[in-house]
Amino acid sequence: MKLIRIILASLLVALCILPAQAASLTKGKLKMVKIETNHGTFTLQLDAEKAPITTQNFLDYVNSGFYSNVVFHRVIPNFMIQGGGFEPGMKQKKTNDPIKNEAANGLKNDKYTIAMARTGDPHSGSSQFFINTKNNSFLDYPGQDGWGYCVFGKVVEGTDVIDAIAKVKTGSSGFHQDVPKEDVIIIKAEVLQ
Amino acid sequence: MTHPVLYPDSCIPYPEMPHTLFIADLHLSESHPHTAAQFLRFAQDVAPKAEALYILGDLFEYWAGDDDLDTPFHRQICGALSKLAAGGTRIFIMHGNRDFLMDEALAAACNAQLLNDPTLIDLYGQATLLTHGDILCTGDSAYQQFRATVRGTDWRSQFLSQPLRQRKAQIEQLRAQSEQSKREKAMAIMDVSNEAVLALLRHHDYPRLIHGHTHRPAKHLHHADGHTCERWVLGDWDTQANALLVDSTSVQQLKLS
Repeated sequence: MKLIRIILASLLVALCILPAQAASLTKGKLKMVKIETNHGTFTLQLDAEKAPITTQNFLDYVNSGFYSNVVFHRVIPNFMIQGGGFEPGMKQKKTNDPIKNEAANGLKNDKYTIAMARTGDPHSGSSQFFINTKNNSFLDYPGQDGWGYCVFGKVVEGTDVIDAIAKVKTGSSGFHQDVPKEDVIIIKAEVLQ
Repeated sequence: MTHPVLYPDSCIPYPEMPHTLFIADLHLSESHPHTAAQFLRFAQDVAPKAEALYILGDLFEYWAGDDDLDTPFHRQICGALSKLAAGGTRIFIMHGNRDFLMDEALAAACNAQLLNDPTLIDLYGQATLLTHGDILCTGDSAYQQFRATVRGTDWRSQFLSQPLRQRKAQIEQLRAQSEQSKREKAMAIMDVSNEAVLALLRHHDYPRLIHGHTHRPAKHLHHADGHTCERWVLGDWDTQANALLVDSTSVQQLKLS
């Protein structure tokens, strides 16, 4: 009798653990990040399954507080908003090592998706990212240079904040174009559980 | 507003909007190494970001014929363009008043396509007419007569039948004469004629117009029959690299020194 109770109790415990594990397995593929800006807050859903390296890279910057007090420094209407690399005053931040380009993952540069910015070197993405404000299919792998731009998530809440940022007045700052005249600042970025 | 096209790599300017570049009147020749260096730098650092590059005439100071392709200088220029095309930028070349003997062999060496003058294109949804610009200088009747002669097939085959050295000597003579007569001509007749512009715009259903030749970079507005047409004049490359950058939302003059 005691043995049956022990077995039943173990089964009950096991049944309780399994769904939780299953839930965390699903949750593990999609990471939620909240970005608080001086224009409002938006939430990103990152795809760790389709863009594991890129998602982990972004999360590392988020978790280290890198994106606090960082601006959206390049805003081009009907194209995208780009940020993650400069502090107010266009002071460039030192980044971690660049990452591999994972653009060939099937994800498209649709409106409100987030993708890695980079130089002409396909594997030069580090901290800078952009959010598409239009379907920019020409950026999809293989793109114009055989590599394209790696999409690793999308805005699932707060697209009105993206729209507001996309409308800010811009001008030149030094040799940079399309810089918001009034800073668009990421106050805080944090991973949601 | 100038467009900073040479970002230091660390600033990560990509992604770029799809855009097209227009240049003209480079007058490339071995005797102007500075301009040639500017062009090579442009072809390497600026142009690759564009999805297309249109060269609207007078790429070369003169062109004696495609059999002149095989000089180190010409190979260098064509090589730069060919490399640019290989990277995905489509290249289109229009004849100017100096280099109107450019032909298919040159185009092949540059991995480019020759364009008729004028040519109407759809540029991000806007009808845009491209011309070198000399056909618009109708006030200069002496030049228009000369042009009619040298663009004829008879003159062309007769000229090209001569040995290359002889052609080059004749070109030198023509250039000297041209420089002399330019000094004598009134500034006004060397610019485009308003009537000629309006006629061209009407004929092509009121497009935007882009041309070079006059070396007077500017944006003009022409009003015709209820339409307002933009006329963009490209700058020459005498002192700095000049280009027009067009994308779906804007037209920008680029100056690079």
